[in-house]
Amino acid sequence: GGGSWLDWSSFRGFSNLYYSGLSGLCSERDFKVECGGFSNRPVYSLKPVPDTSLLVTSGPPDTSLQVWQVSAEDSDVIKSVSTISTENGTGQTWAKIATISARAPWVLHGSRLNNIQITEVESRKNSASSTTPHSEELSGLAFLDANTLLLCCARGGLCLADVRQPQSPLEAASVPWAPCGERWCMGVGRGPQGSDSQPIACLSSRGRLTLTDIRKISESLASAKCKVPSPSSDAEFLCVSWAPALEGCLAVSGFDGTVHVYDAQSWDSSGGEAEPIFVHKGHAFGPGSSRNPPLVTVHMWHPQKPRTLLSAASDGSLHVWDWVQSCGKCG
Amino acid sequence: MPEIKVTPLGAGQDVGRSCILVSIAGKNVMLDCGMHMGYNDDRRFPDFSYITQNGRLTDFLDCVIISHFHLDHCGALPYFSEMVGYDGPIYMTHPTKAICPILLEDYRKITVDKKGETNFFTSQMIKDCMKKVVAVHLHQTVQVDEELEIKAYYAGHVLGAAMFQIKVGCESVVYTGDYNMTPDRHLGAAWIDKCRPDLLITESTYATTIRDSKRCRERDFLKKVHETVERGGKVLIPVFALGRAQELCILLETFWERMNLKAPIYFSTGLTEKANHYYKLFITWTNQKIRKTFVQRNMFEFKHIKAFDRAFADNPGPMVVFATPGMLHAGQSLQIFRKWAGNEKNMVIMPGYCVQGTVGHKILSGQRKLEMEGRQILEVKMQVEYMSFSAHADAKGIMQLIRQAEPRNVLLVHGEAKKMEFLKQKIEQEFHVSCYMPANGETTTIFTNPSIPVDISLGLLKRETAIGLAPDVKKPKLMHGTLIMKDNSFRLVSPEQALKELGLAEHQLRFTCRVHIQDPRKEHETVLRVYNHLKGVLKDYSVQHLPDGSITVESILIQATAHSEDQGTKVLLVSWTYQDEELGSYLTSLLKKGLPPSTA
Repeated sequence: GGGSWLDWSSFRGFSNLYYSGLSGLCSERDFKVECGGFSNRPVYSLKPVPDTSLLVTSGPPDTSLQVWQVSAEDSDVIKSVSTISTENGTGQTWAKIATISARAPWVLHGSRLNNIQITEVESRKNSASSTTPHSEELSGLAFLDANTLLLCCARGGLCLADVRQPQSPLEAASVPWAPCGERWCMGVGRGPQGSDSQPIACLSSRGRLTLTDIRKISESLASAKCKVPSPSSDAEFLCVSWAPALEGCLAVSGFDGTVHVYDAQSWDSSGGEAEPIFVHKGHAFGPGSSRNPPLVTVHMWHPQKPRTLLSAASDGSLHVWDWVQSCGKCG
Repeated sequence: MPEIKVTPLGAGQDVGRSCILVSIAGKNVMLDCGMHMGYNDDRRFPDFSYITQNGRLTDFLDCVIISHFHLDHCGALPYFSEMVGYDGPIYMTHPTKAICPILLEDYRKITVDKKGETNFFTSQMIKDCMKKVVAVHLHQTVQVDEELEIKAYYAGHVLGAAMFQIKVGCESVVYTGDYNMTPDRHLGAAWIDKCRPDLLITESTYATTIRDSKRCRERDFLKKVHETVERGGKVLIPVFALGRAQELCILLETFWERMNLKAPIYFSTGLTEKANHYYKLFITWTNQKIRKTFVQRNMFEFKHIKAFDRAFADNPGPMVVFATPGMLHAGQSLQIFRKWAGNEKNMVIMPGYCVQGTVGHKILSGQRKLEMEGRQILEVKMQVEYMSFSAHADAKGIMQLIRQAEPRNVLLVHGEAKKMEFLKQKIEQEFHVSCYMPANGETTTIFTNPSIPVDISLGLLKRETAIGLAPDVKKPKLMHGTLIMKDNSFRLVSPEQALKELGLAEHQLRFTCRVHIQDPRKEHETVLRVYNHLKGVLKDYSVQHLPDGSITVESILIQATAHSEDQGTKVLLVSWTYQDEELGSYLTSLLKKGLPPSTA
């Protein structure tokens, strides 16, 4: 009992969905598939809908979304329930998604600033749509709370929007740290309890990391450069995320077969190279890795265990790992 | 449409009392005859009344096959053969035949003597049952009767476990029993050839599990045992006498030796001694490494592991005890568990699958207060650990076996109903075959496409090879002949031979066509013109001018006559047989185009 959801924000190339109930990491050392499903299109993004037994996925060839039901009671198959269709925009072929259960179970989706929508998952009714004319490509989107959205443009801009004011145009706040030519993605962290602040980390395809806060997204608070061998060729897999139970720590992946963990508490605005406190190299040593070095496609932190992460790579491997902190920092 | 029918009487969407009825080409085979370890009433045996309500089962079954000695596969055998009634052959491998009666007798003792049950099979029944057993070797084709044959394949899992192929004519079914696709310390891995059965019946105990590295698992196990023993605790490992016990013994023995540990390790007696005796006897059934090193050192002679006595359980200090049975459902392991459960320094490690209803299953599900006999509540303070050393194939292993055998259909048994649907769909998607998972009592029908062998006559064969290109093994060759079905035999012969054999006269189909040509000269001059024309055009064909005034092109006949009413018109009669249709039509259209002007 007591499984926790795995939330794969990008699961490229696999048309099987797996949900593993990892109730703490037991020494059993076996992965038990709680339920699984079959999709006839690649699953690039997968998000559970809170307070429901539904999942939403998206992937090429278009920006429509697939809604699934996890029955778990009488069967171990994730069943396809419905499709949320959208007008196929030009260019980008798949939608980024975020979910929340506030006034109703909602999914926020879109591939460009001008095709963002909020749809009620169960009824498939449209709740809000963006009215901006800008067709900036998006690399990520998130619900900060039931009313506030944060959008990240692939070119590097961040954008806040209020659901209660759908008429105000969405304009990407131009940010000083985003020169042209690099592709950016974001990771939103949990702020200290009771405060308004939430840290945001922005990662570029050249390995630049910039930290800011939702209270003033145009101002860079700190920045650093990751130790990456070369700029990411396929910036689709860039992934940065804050540790939910380890203050100031974030993880970065998408450049090669490794996952880097950094302690950002000591960073300043100099933008110098930062030393990771841990590098997970396991994926680079899988079978066949010498011929075809795998690329880590996504990672996420365990919601409760402070130093436990999960990562997946292009060779189909799935790792659950943690590290021992040698120097006594980071709790 | 020929069909294969499968009905599980046990292990349909369930684990326990494996018993599957297969009906193939008029033969009825029972696969396994097990007992359900989770029940104490008549739900523990399969319901044989499904086969027949009255009359002895011998008339309805051609044979019974037992895959291995685990009680959930053979536990109901004496009840079935002696109490319900069956006198036909029972097939199993040699180790299974040797070990089965020991386990059955052991179980009988616990049930009757210790639990006081009546209406259970007796020792004599076990002996009488085993007299009906025919032992088989691996890969040996055994003729059950003129049409039914069976063959055993190595299954790993436990000593003597086999997968069986059942074949009638060209229809076949493979039943896996329980198997393991990864070799372990004392057994090899299951293997089957690309036998392409119509149906593969496979176990799916771990349908949704994907195993991590064995080395890490072993390291975790040893770490736990070591930690417990170091702090003075006692470790109980419930095992079946034969199976994982030997594996873990080898593992612990090696570890104790390497780390120079002194804490005693015990193995509950009786069954164990006999068990090791059998492992030494059936050494060819173990893995490569054991067989190779057998001469220097027998892997089953343990230095650090000693026989257990009931009194030792009360001894102070650390110890490790292997005790039977494996799911803590009865006997010595349960006794020891009750003694040690109250101390949190102690640990119980469940090394395998536990059937629902057993104490093992309950404590693994998290229950810490158990109701024992006489309404006594047992509080479990000792640590409960699960280390899956169970030798069943995991999800990847099942897919691997299907890939090896290439069946046309798959049927899943011996799994949990709620955990089979995903595997079923995965198999259908990946191999494009139908996959079934019937419940107990539910019949699945699989339609087969049997190939019918036909004898071809030598004459026809020679004729066909003379015409065409060299035969290609992969491409079907189209040929014409006559199929004669007589006295259950099929023969393909040439039409002429068929006619001769049947005493029929051959009818010839002849086409005749009249072509009008304008030519005022005499008939024989027209004929000469036609002959020269055809000779010039049809260079590849034999064109002849016969003395009687007719022309032949191959076997086509052309004659010229004058038109009855118009002397200036000549009528060419073109006549050909059915076989020359193509050339005949071509000739006709050629002639209809007219003759070239004559030069003479």
